[in-house]
Amino acid sequence: MIQLTKTAALILAAATTTFWMPDNARAACGNITISEMNWASAQLMANVDKIILQKGYGCNTEIVPGDTMPTFTSMSEKGRPDIAPELWINAVREPLKKAIDSGRLQVINKAPITGLGEGWWVTPSFLKKHPTLNTVEKVLSRPDLFPYAEDRTKGAFIGCPAGWGCQLANANLYRAFKMKQKGWVLVNPGSGAGLKGSIAKAANRGENWFGYYWNPTAIVGKYNLIKLPFETKWAGSNNWDGCIVKPEQDCADPKPSSWTKSAVRTVITTKFSKRGGVAAKYLENRIFPGDVMNSMLVFMNNEKANGADTAIEFLTRHSDVWIKWVSKEAAKKIKASL
Amino acid sequence: MSFFDEFPSLDRRGLMELRRTIDNEFRDFSREYGEALENFFDPLLQFLVGLEKLMISAPWPVIIILVGCFAWAGSRSKCIVVGSILSFLTIGYLGMWEDTMATLAIISAATLICIGIGIPIGILMSRYNRVQSAVTPVLDIMQTIPSFVYLIPVVMLLGIGKVPGLLAVCIYALPPIVRLTNLGIRLVDKEVLEASDAFGASPLQRLIGVQIPLALPNIFAGVNQTIMMALSMVVIASMIGVKGLGIPVLQAVSNQYLALGLMNGLAIVALAIIFDRVTQRLGKRLQKHGALDH
Repeated sequence: MIQLTKTAALILAAATTTFWMPDNARAACGNITISEMNWASAQLMANVDKIILQKGYGCNTEIVPGDTMPTFTSMSEKGRPDIAPELWINAVREPLKKAIDSGRLQVINKAPITGLGEGWWVTPSFLKKHPTLNTVEKVLSRPDLFPYAEDRTKGAFIGCPAGWGCQLANANLYRAFKMKQKGWVLVNPGSGAGLKGSIAKAANRGENWFGYYWNPTAIVGKYNLIKLPFETKWAGSNNWDGCIVKPEQDCADPKPSSWTKSAVRTVITTKFSKRGGVAAKYLENRIFPGDVMNSMLVFMNNEKANGADTAIEFLTRHSDVWIKWVSKEAAKKIKASL
Repeated sequence: MSFFDEFPSLDRRGLMELRRTIDNEFRDFSREYGEALENFFDPLLQFLVGLEKLMISAPWPVIIILVGCFAWAGSRSKCIVVGSILSFLTIGYLGMWEDTMATLAIISAATLICIGIGIPIGILMSRYNRVQSAVTPVLDIMQTIPSFVYLIPVVMLLGIGKVPGLLAVCIYALPPIVRLTNLGIRLVDKEVLEASDAFGASPLQRLIGVQIPLALPNIFAGVNQTIMMALSMVVIASMIGVKGLGIPVLQAVSNQYLALGLMNGLAIVALAIIFDRVTQRLGKRLQKHGALDH
């Protein structure tokens, strides 16, 4: 019955769309589901996509909440949602490759945000106190500067929460750099909130903090966290994709390596790419400059705004950025709707 | 008519101002007193770390024997002793021994703290109606406020790890022991109290010799509930970096590892059932003895 109602609603929606908007492009657009991941930049992107596709191109957009793994699995297995605006593919590199090879998913934008990256960060007050310790390797030699609360003789390296894709990479690099022998403990912050909380606490009090984080994020913008460069060279993608991102039992001998180049993609299902039309065209052009993204994230955090509010703020404040992504006609409609 | 259509709320700017003020106040507070608070809780942290180390490093047969003794001492039932030993053996066999020990350590510490704080508060509440009416709403808040709400300030103050985890567990697990201690003492028969007064018992003698022993079954029901609630907080506590069975559960949830989640979830259930049966039997036995005395 529910299925029936849904189908009826879809037909009705499609019918009204075609009826009210005889324009070919818009009729082809139809219903689009966009995955809104549970972190700030992805929430902003999902909402910007929603507004632009809805107001500019007359698509019928719907936002569904998601997270890297569940959304990826659902897109590749069920073909829904249609768009993942900000998918961090390091965690799903191999399954993504398989899904692309078998024609289920497509990468439509290889760099939706510029200047981003995962890596190992420190609080700014630490670098001020110890300006010479400016690379990962130099910091690794001084665990005594980051005492671990539960065992003061060890240094605390705050890793990635249990169950996140980055947890495996951090655990394997921890082994590769022989951090245990150097006197470090890999601390599991438990959740994203725990990780953020530990950064906020250290940054607010001017304490030393060393751990995993990523950009673009409000936390990085707000506390001016500094990403440490690795002295170690990139040890090849065989080492990274074949070992570092895998569970410990599949990675017997990880080699030290700099962090992989962050890869964020906008991924869509093949079903959608076939009927996507204008929406697909827009997604190809949609590239957020890193500094603009960071400034929006700080706004989001300071004003305690949600993704939808921030999307409107972005569209009003940075029309010079998004105007390049859309057709002239669509730009006019979007501006009128704001 | 617009007055009725839209709730006369604080405007957006005012609301933001209010939230920001609260946030900033809290940040200043944490800058000012955070370190002192951390130092205050440091002995507790060392105790927790020591307890966990002890339980993890103790040879497993010792722990199994202790579990058996604990079950026997509490329940006097062969069935429960065998059941608890078997479940611990299964837990160990399935590779969850360390996580289970870590969970047991934090649950035991939380229970002890809750008993240590909860019973005196419960006694005070039963003694003075005014204390009761002041404490009851606080207990209501502690039980119903979503745990994520207080996790954030606790982490900002104390960072991630065992102590904030323990606090979170205690906030949730403390109310039942307080409530049931209070209730148990209030339910003691008036005539028994009159009799003890007639024998010239001082209030303290009356409390220790008459009221608490007669209230014990209820107090034990409170201990039982406190342990259950502490166990149900294991996963939440893991979200702020407490080691134990909660971590693999979180891992399983975000990666859809069905077996991992199920196994660790069932280990938590096994702990809960063992604790529950043992303390319940103990409570029942106390009740029987109480009946014999009079």
